[in-house]
Amino acid sequence: MEFTIRAANVDDCKDIERMIMELAECEKAIDEVKITKRDLEQDGFSKNPFFHGIIVEVPERHKTKEGHTKVGYALYFFSYSSFKGRAVFMEDLYVMPEFRGKGIGKALMSKVAQLGLAAGCQQLNFTVLDWNKPSLDFYFSQGCTDITAEKGYHYMCCKGEALEHLAQP
Amino acid sequence: MNYKIRAELAVFEKMPDQAKISHEELERDGFCQNPFFECLVAEVSDEHRSKDGHTVVGYGLYYYTYSTWKGRSVYLEDLYVMPEFRGNGIGKGLMCKVAKVTAEKQCVRLQLAVLDWNSPARDFYAAKGAQDLTDSEGWHFIRFDGLSLDNLVKDAPKD
Repeated sequence: MEFTIRAANVDDCKDIERMIMELAECEKAIDEVKITKRDLEQDGFSKNPFFHGIIVEVPERHKTKEGHTKVGYALYFFSYSSFKGRAVFMEDLYVMPEFRGKGIGKALMSKVAQLGLAAGCQQLNFTVLDWNKPSLDFYFSQGCTDITAEKGYHYMCCKGEALEHLAQP
Repeated sequence: MNYKIRAELAVFEKMPDQAKISHEELERDGFCQNPFFECLVAEVSDEHRSKDGHTVVGYGLYYYTYSTWKGRSVYLEDLYVMPEFRGNGIGKGLMCKVAKVTAEKQCVRLQLAVLDWNSPARDFYAAKGAQDLTDSEGWHFIRFDGLSLDNLVKDAPKD
């Protein structure tokens, strides 16, 4: 299937918000989403953006039954390893279900890798849920390493009251 | 940044051959126009300097990240205090400062990674109210680097 990948712009935030909700539904966490289109516009397209995005578009003749031509996205930001240096973290990778199996997900991930390498990054990192077998199979088929399984790194999070408590001396 | 401090953290995490960064790279990447990280250092007065003469005795290195569910976040990449200065609240002080930055920048989460065998660190973070999302929700860190990263780039669509 014909598709193009390009950098996201502020006008894409409506579709990015839509697809974030679809992805959250896939991950059984629709109630967890607190982000709005406005947050995405402010946080992704201001002077010091918190993230960057790439969007997949298909031609009009392949649009979805609801009329969407923006059918996938990847959202990433730059991170840092004090051991290895610059890295890129892929926060979201999503292709609408009816467009899967056509190489779009792979193309998105490759593009993030390319953009990361161009920025001098040595690693592409992301997280995946251990029960998400289709995603795990896809990523492992591309040659990645499960750092949690291999090295024992656990992902920790401090938020809400715990975070406020931590900020007090 | 003190090169000696970063090298010690690598030895502790049992991977001394993994530390490939030079202090020039740290200077370039942390103090350019669009820095890849920010860093706090813990300094003691000259009278308390280490046996090797260092007064910078700990650091916290972090950067800003994004959750499409929750919004702005901070990721604490490194937290380190030289062994001879532990037990004095410096690690807690560094974390507290990073948490303050998190709030000042309107970030909703502070995230980090800890090795599963590192019981003192796990206990420290658990005592501060951190949740282990690998244990509770099944999140795994996945990485492409070296040859696997190069292979991935080969398949990138042409612009």
